[in-house]
Amino acid sequence: MAAAKPDPNFQPEIVVLYCRQALDAEERPPEGARQALGLGVRLVLLPCSSKVEAYQMLKIVEQGADGVLLLACPEKACRFLTGSLKAERRVQRARQLLGLVNMGPERVALRRVSGLSLKDILALAGQMASEVKALGPNPMKGDNLQ
Amino acid sequence: MIVAEWKPIPELLASLKGHKNILLVGCATCVAECAAGGEREVLTLAPVLKMGLKEQGQDVNIITKTLERQCEPEFVEELAEIAPQVDAIMSLSCGIGMQLVAERFIDLPLYPGVNTTSLAIREQPGLWTARCAACGDCMLGETFGLCPVARCAKSLMNGPCGGTRKDGKCEVDPDTECIWRLIVERAEARGRLEDLAKVRPAKDWSNSGHGGPKRMLREDLRS
Repeated sequence: MAAAKPDPNFQPEIVVLYCRQALDAEERPPEGARQALGLGVRLVLLPCSSKVEAYQMLKIVEQGADGVLLLACPEKACRFLTGSLKAERRVQRARQLLGLVNMGPERVALRRVSGLSLKDILALAGQMASEVKALGPNPMKGDNLQ
Repeated sequence: MIVAEWKPIPELLASLKGHKNILLVGCATCVAECAAGGEREVLTLAPVLKMGLKEQGQDVNIITKTLERQCEPEFVEELAEIAPQVDAIMSLSCGIGMQLVAERFIDLPLYPGVNTTSLAIREQPGLWTARCAACGDCMLGETFGLCPVARCAKSLMNGPCGGTRKDGKCEVDPDTECIWRLIVERAEARGRLEDLAKVRPAKDWSNSGHGGPKRMLREDLRS
């Protein structure tokens, strides 16, 4: 999508999909909507980052999220051996397709993390928000796929 | 399986220009196995098309549906309830299924979402290679189970040609085995190399696609 005019009031909405195994052992898995650092964050708990398919990330963007952040374990630390590798390939696929329709591949990203706390997740969402802010609001906001 | 691959996204977007309500229909059989037109690919392509068309200023509604098989009328009938809601259909099945859908819903424009390319196997995850050319006169019994029609770049009946690379690959593609080298190796392994020296009658191409559209008739199965 063509670069939007900077809007100082624009608060990106970020959907964070995170692997349960990447969470600190003491942390209680957080879910649901949060507000943090001037952005809206929706947290989705996954048993493994490989539970997400490319089409699901694309659908989240198509339904109006400004960014989708997938938090996966380090490649060698994946409890299911190849889960985070699959997740990385799916993110690449989603980014490639977003690029082909000028939606900005940056709207989908993967970070490899471990020992996460809720504070860490929100901080990563904040970083993601600053990366997608330059793209402007997702032009698909308000649309829904049947 | 019948193998197909997505058409380029710009081509798909151009074909849907002017349409408002689109049915994107997949097939859960061959094209699902080759990751081109099954339910997952339908669900992947739908948001991509919607975003791509929106970027071009075109708001569309996309209904998705994946049939068990698009090449059987019984399954295609499942689209009858959806068809009145749309003004175009894009199909991700092979060319066979697409034509059946087009035939059933004759008033709706049908656009191919994929190009049907070959009859192939999944050789490795993410890699499909042709095995059959539907030539109509199978010679696998003479070539030790390896098809030179589909797997030789020149479809040679007597090979290998002079272009085989030193590493045994085809001169046309360094990633493709010279199938005639493999045929000779298999003949040697079975101690039947002399079989390849036998003079064989010319291959009968009259049962291939050269004789016009194919028809197969079994009177005992007709109603």
